[in-house]
Amino acid sequence: MFEYEFMQRAFWAGGLIGVIAPILGVYLMLRRQVLMADTLSHVSLAGVALGSVMNLNPVICGFAIAMIGALLVEQLRRSYRTYSEVPVAIIMTSGLALAVVLMSLQTNLSKTFSSYLFGSIVAVSDMQLWMMAGVCVIGLLFFILLRRPLYSFTFDEETASIGGVQVRGLSFAFAILTGMTVASAMPIVGVLLVSALIVLPAALALRVSRSFTAAIIVAVITGLIGIFSGLTTSYHLNTPPGGTIALILLVFLLNGISAQKLIARYNRKRHRKETKSQHVILVNHSRRNTSHEIR
Amino acid sequence: MILSSMRDVVFGYGKEPVIDQLSLDIHVGEFIGITGPNGSAKTTLLKLLLGLLKPWSGTIHMNPQLKRRNNSNIGYVPQQVASFNSGFPSTVIELVRSGCYTRLGLFRSFTAEQDAIVERSLREVGMWEYRYTRVGELSGGQKQRICIARAMAGQPQVLVLDEPTTGMDRHSREGFYNLMRHYADVHGITIIMVTHGLEELGDRLDRTITLERQESEEWQCLSTNSCNVPSGQVD
Repeated sequence: MFEYEFMQRAFWAGGLIGVIAPILGVYLMLRRQVLMADTLSHVSLAGVALGSVMNLNPVICGFAIAMIGALLVEQLRRSYRTYSEVPVAIIMTSGLALAVVLMSLQTNLSKTFSSYLFGSIVAVSDMQLWMMAGVCVIGLLFFILLRRPLYSFTFDEETASIGGVQVRGLSFAFAILTGMTVASAMPIVGVLLVSALIVLPAALALRVSRSFTAAIIVAVITGLIGIFSGLTTSYHLNTPPGGTIALILLVFLLNGISAQKLIARYNRKRHRKETKSQHVILVNHSRRNTSHEIR
Repeated sequence: MILSSMRDVVFGYGKEPVIDQLSLDIHVGEFIGITGPNGSAKTTLLKLLLGLLKPWSGTIHMNPQLKRRNNSNIGYVPQQVASFNSGFPSTVIELVRSGCYTRLGLFRSFTAEQDAIVERSLREVGMWEYRYTRVGELSGGQKQRICIARAMAGQPQVLVLDEPTTGMDRHSREGFYNLMRHYADVHGITIIMVTHGLEELGDRLDRTITLERQESEEWQCLSTNSCNVPSGQVD
């Protein structure tokens, strides 16, 4: 499998995205912005279409438009404080509508578009790989250097603001990073499933981890295993990589939830048994005392 | 020494002001209780003091010494903070340690002194035994207590608390009020607390600010236990 250069590129790209996307997912889920990834992938698709229509580089165009979309969502989120999901819906539908209209202007786009919609291992070019590497480095620096303010701001924006965290600036930076990650992950998993890569590992990590650091580590490990096994399966079964990766991550999540429930049930049973045996000892003890008193 | 002073402050959310021509001085080391019926702009008053809201007109001055170092001298426990996402993946000690982040900045590591402060804060609210418990597994009252410990871990000079005893039982509330009085007396911390439990607080408070709704439907009248002022003058 690795004798093919495109597979090497796909694994490199998957590895890079597998590190950054799940970390982003943990923060997005805790900030209740899980649909942000989906929205920005649709916006990015509009950017790709715009690039093709205007004879510009579609990859760079998709990347730039995703970042603009992220800024717009963040700005609108401030206007719709009570209904924070409204800006996400507005930008998502606008992005998709624009993409559909622009696509109809270019009839030769359908093949390229299907690779963007569903992801393709061969679609990862050298330039995209470098872009992913760049996004990964920027993202890791962002999450490592700003881990303290990010933790405070994810827990509660108001107290973080009182504590001196530049909440507005951090929010915008976070939105831009989300746009960059989504746009760079698109060629490998596709527009429709890019959010699976961000959300599913984080969803599992948040269920099973006791601490914040553990959640980040579990999410990254899950993401990497999911992507590598998904790419391998996709290569052997000739299935679309995005769908395969998403299904494998879904299986991980379902297994994680089931295992957690089984452990909880086992603990409950053990606790009930212990309480019962303590109760029997207490009853025996009180009976002995009562019989002593009668004598 | 005056910590914060508000002059002729007007603020509202719609067309009508909810706070009208309010003047108020807060002194260093005071333990102040803000009370009033639901919706009487108690939280709004706190947010104005903290600079989270900007007044329509009037001025709010904070002591420059306090504003230094990015508000790191203010500890704030908002009303709804205890109802945070129950899935937040954090242990109690991890969350309380995050209260020190403002003082530590981005890179300075925790010292033994900081660890001791975190331990003291948790012990004072009676949550040290739960330090390795996931915050989502705690009750509402326990969550409230760790939020207070988190604010205290930042060693604030001013502690702003919005209905901090919600979800606490009577025994815990009594202990909490005594602790706040202790902080004001021994550490000289200024405490501004929105509360509905004035009777329970008894004489522990230095001053009470009562927000009342006037018949004109405007929230403007303030009174204190030291002097009753009919229209927005509390000094």
